[in-house]
Amino acid sequence: MPLSQSDLEAYLDEALPPEQMARVEKALRETPELIRQASAIHSRRNAGVHSLGEIWRAGRLSCPSREQLGSLLLGVLPGELADYARFHLNVIGCRYCLANLADLKNQQVEGNEVVETRRRRFFQTSAGYLRGKE
Amino acid sequence: MSPSQSDKLLIRRIRQGEPAAWNELIAQYEGRLLAFVESRLRNRAAAEDVVQETFVGFLTSLPNYDPRRPMEGYLFSIAAHKLTDFLRREGRRPTIPLAPEGSTGSGWEPDGKVRVASSIARSSERRHLEVSALSVALAKEIDHCRSRGQWVKLKCAELLLVRGRTNKEAAAQLQVSEQMVANHKFEFLAKLRSAVRKQGLPEEVFPELYEK
Repeated sequence: MPLSQSDLEAYLDEALPPEQMARVEKALRETPELIRQASAIHSRRNAGVHSLGEIWRAGRLSCPSREQLGSLLLGVLPGELADYARFHLNVIGCRYCLANLADLKNQQVEGNEVVETRRRRFFQTSAGYLRGKE
Repeated sequence: MSPSQSDKLLIRRIRQGEPAAWNELIAQYEGRLLAFVESRLRNRAAAEDVVQETFVGFLTSLPNYDPRRPMEGYLFSIAAHKLTDFLRREGRRPTIPLAPEGSTGSGWEPDGKVRVASSIARSSERRHLEVSALSVALAKEIDHCRSRGQWVKLKCAELLLVRGRTNKEAAAQLQVSEQMVANHKFEFLAKLRSAVRKQGLPEEVFPELYEK
């Protein structure tokens, strides 16, 4: 399937599923015209003009909630909603919803100590940037 | 997704420098940010480094953060930038110029109908308002589809507008006729045009809504 303008837009936002990101990267390396098109998207955005798809994706206007994704994982999301959620994940390939779903799955298997150690490290390496009262 | 009250309160506490609040934010979002980054990097250690940079980036940008913007989306966008930077440094992601070679100014040249609206000075604030108006109209139409169980219509619109698929590709994906896809697209865009017109916005601003 040839790359669409929307694919390039999503690529620039790191919003395509990983395997499709790699596909676009390969195409960018092989086709200079695609670099020009991607560059034109940057220019358009800098001029404050956004496509419908960009607005839809950035606003996450049709993303299932994290709670709904949790219900999907548990197999308790109602039929039509579950069908749409699977479409949004597997066909649209929403990277943000895929990340939420992966996180929900990981929470079921990852050990508490591993998680707490990681969170402590994130806190320790960033807390110095906390400001005082504003 | 609009920001929740609890997110707004959390941000207020973080702005006041409360470490417990910062811990709460990390606990709430680190897992999904890590999953987002690791899916691309396939390397846990490197992914944790990028997520670490994301949290630092969030705190340093906090004075400019608009609390009306959903926090998860904001964090994901910072993570995407940090990830892009990382991949570029690794040579895995090609550099894309901010303007096409040989262009002048911003490098973006509007075409067709858009040229008329763009020739009129529109401040960035005005453009922001226009995008917000369209976002509200889109959200309303999407919710309308959901509440009425118009899932095929919603899927059509998402395939066409978000993934840029052709009518033929969308029809094949959804196992419906191309005519049905065309009808759904027409109805969806007609509703958006109506919403945009009601807000008194010139049609030239959103050429996509009027493409044949």
